[in-house]
Amino acid sequence: MDKIFGQYGVILDINLSTNKINKTQISKIDLKNYLGGRGLGMKILWDRIKKPGIDPLSPENIIMFMPGPFSGLPIPSSSRTTIVTKSPRTSPINKKYEHSSTISYANMGGFFGPEVKFAGYDGIVVTGKASSPVFILIEDDKVQIKSAESYWGLGTDSLDKKLIEEYGKNYQSCYIGQGGENLIPYASVLNTAARAAGRGGVGAVMGSKNLKAILVKGTQQPNLAKHKMYLDLLEKTRTAFQEDKTGGVISWRTGGTADALERSSDNGTMAVKNYREGTFKEIEKINTKAARTQIWKRDFACFSCQLACKKSGFAKGAYGGVVHDGPEYETGTMLGANLLISDLEGLNKMIYICDDYGIDIISTGGVLGFLMECREKGLIDLDFLDGVDLTWGNVDASIEMIHKIVKRDGVGKWAAMGVKALAKRIGQGSEEFAIHVKGHELAAWNVNTNASSMMITYGTANRGACHLNSSNPVRQNTNALRDSLGACSFAGSWYKGDISYRNFIEAITGAEQSDDEFNLIGERIFNLEKMFNLREGFDDKDDHLPERFFKDAHTYGKGEGKLATHEDFTKWIEAYYAERGWDVKTSKPKTEKLSQLGLDFTLQS
Amino acid sequence: MEANNSRRDFLKKLAIGGGGVVILGQYHFLFANEAKNGILKAIIVDFDKCAGCQTCETVCSAFHHPVEIDGEMLKGLGNPKLANIQVYHYNPDMDIPSVCANCPDSPCVENCPSTPDINGNKAIYRDKLTLAIRTNHGICISCGTCADTCKDQRTGVIKMNPLTNHPEHICDHCGGDPQCVKYCPYGALSFQEVDIEKTYFGMSPTQIAEELFKRYYTTQEVIHG
Repeated sequence: MDKIFGQYGVILDINLSTNKINKTQISKIDLKNYLGGRGLGMKILWDRIKKPGIDPLSPENIIMFMPGPFSGLPIPSSSRTTIVTKSPRTSPINKKYEHSSTISYANMGGFFGPEVKFAGYDGIVVTGKASSPVFILIEDDKVQIKSAESYWGLGTDSLDKKLIEEYGKNYQSCYIGQGGENLIPYASVLNTAARAAGRGGVGAVMGSKNLKAILVKGTQQPNLAKHKMYLDLLEKTRTAFQEDKTGGVISWRTGGTADALERSSDNGTMAVKNYREGTFKEIEKINTKAARTQIWKRDFACFSCQLACKKSGFAKGAYGGVVHDGPEYETGTMLGANLLISDLEGLNKMIYICDDYGIDIISTGGVLGFLMECREKGLIDLDFLDGVDLTWGNVDASIEMIHKIVKRDGVGKWAAMGVKALAKRIGQGSEEFAIHVKGHELAAWNVNTNASSMMITYGTANRGACHLNSSNPVRQNTNALRDSLGACSFAGSWYKGDISYRNFIEAITGAEQSDDEFNLIGERIFNLEKMFNLREGFDDKDDHLPERFFKDAHTYGKGEGKLATHEDFTKWIEAYYAERGWDVKTSKPKTEKLSQLGLDFTLQS
Repeated sequence: MEANNSRRDFLKKLAIGGGGVVILGQYHFLFANEAKNGILKAIIVDFDKCAGCQTCETVCSAFHHPVEIDGEMLKGLGNPKLANIQVYHYNPDMDIPSVCANCPDSPCVENCPSTPDINGNKAIYRDKLTLAIRTNHGICISCGTCADTCKDQRTGVIKMNPLTNHPEHICDHCGGDPQCVKYCPYGALSFQEVDIEKTYFGMSPTQIAEELFKRYYTTQEVIHG
């Protein structure tokens, strides 16, 4: 075999049904073509799950914890871990199989991915299902599956504290809370009790395997192909951040993503009142200035990051007493503006509760907003809600409902299933404002004000509605590529010119390639995800957005009165399919496109 | 897969350490001048500024553990665990870099029971030129007194290498131009005269974290403007 640089060519393979632990070789060609993270995870998923329709919460599903080739190197903002699995969240309009669902990938910062690399692995693949709760303890070559009985039932915050106490500084961990244990389909996985791989129900898959946590520590780093070139790039990159003149570094440090709260509200692009409006009239109560003066105390960075976008919020009063990250743009909008909640301390507490349970805040905010609207419209009564008076702006009722969701108590059983399932149960036209694509709730960026872009962004994301997808195929490909490096999207704009991702990959792995060849990697990954979804029975109809976005124009703000028609959408999506080299009607990638990307193997199944 | 260093190799590498001197021998001059004035200096942390990114660990490690590439000694890849400065993360959120305080009374040296060499230096000693605390593993009896003393009385940065059983993780100031200070993105580190009157002088990371929890998370005082 050719010598591998910058990576190990080794995946840690753990079967929780048999307790077998293997080191599986990954070919140099797969490492080159899919890199790591989201891409390599997708390739392994395709290779391992050979038939469509498997139950994502059954032992047949696999879940992968993937760093990338940047991980474990102190390249600024290369802290990301992508968790890849078959989604427990999504479903097509016409189910070809009972358990048809898309690919799922969820991405978290922190310190976990780099540590996986330090331990000597390009990724961790967990298969099967343990007969009782376990956690995995990894120290370089030494891998143990241990009982997690004493951890089961703990929230992520108390578990994190316990793990620090019991295992000390040098282990990094990721884990689920009660959300994942109780198989809430939108359960998340967390690192450092706040950095969440939130989307796509990855926590539920972990819970379905009785896997509470993974702890890892390691002492290794792979040799690089061009060490000197790497050092030179690293030096230049550090300088680019240190001497930043764009104002970007300062903005991330002072405001993080929360800086977008006010901007988005002003622009009419914010999810407000279950996406009914795009501007939040009380935005000044939850914006960066409010948070910085009232609750934020410190700024925190992920491994080797110069941006420190995470904040520790601490409030006193009725909702006080907890220290927690937030609100940032997504959490502040989905549990704030989208529910008309402007009580900053209440908001901070809600964010804490969701993260402690380990449930996706974006989906939770979507579910609460949907129920509030159903209640306002009289489609459901107080009885349906078990007496929880879910009215707009009500923090206490929202908290009560979050508890019910995670415990699957009464109405919580239905709310736990997400807005698509809820709308099916409630009926009466509520489907029109059940805000999801493919069953996955939309994120905090509203649609109408910028419909031509946002409809394609949400509609064509392979994990179901995703705000990080972009509407432009080239940018979608770049995003898929970046998610496969272990690099963070927030720092993407600094990696250009000399210090491009391509040049780093050349220094790390030795792959000498043109920009076009390199960008093909992202396109390959995106198309492989698409082929997975097609095999599961998703088609062009599943790329549609909820009817709300064709009917309910915002009544005030920058987007007031703007509305796309179905004809507009058809025009946009067909142009998108065409640009992708896909059939403009069915959305199927054409054979020539698949050949060009080296994905001919997807046609044989 | 020779890229994969075994744990044994790793520990050995850690024990050798000090390779940075090979790269930065040039600074020795600068540093000698400074030490002549007799000013005792150390890495001083501004805990309000640290964001916990561990860049300090990676540049410390890269400097002290260089690699030879085509006959040239170059900085290493910077595995944080090889660093002399160590960042501790806590929950509730707090990040505490911990590094040798270069204590004027150097209890680690005082308590070392080894027999001094011909220069009068014990196995752990203050270097006359650099005024930094250094070790001489050749006469070290592996008793661990220095590490215990540091842990009981000061920061606790000194750790015994589990394989060689010699003390390590003691800051040498990179020969007068500390890499951690140079590269800290948040300006949280500086190379300054040791001041035992400073609030957090010689405290362990956990003690410092406890103090900071009190300051940040139990008062209404607003830290950020």
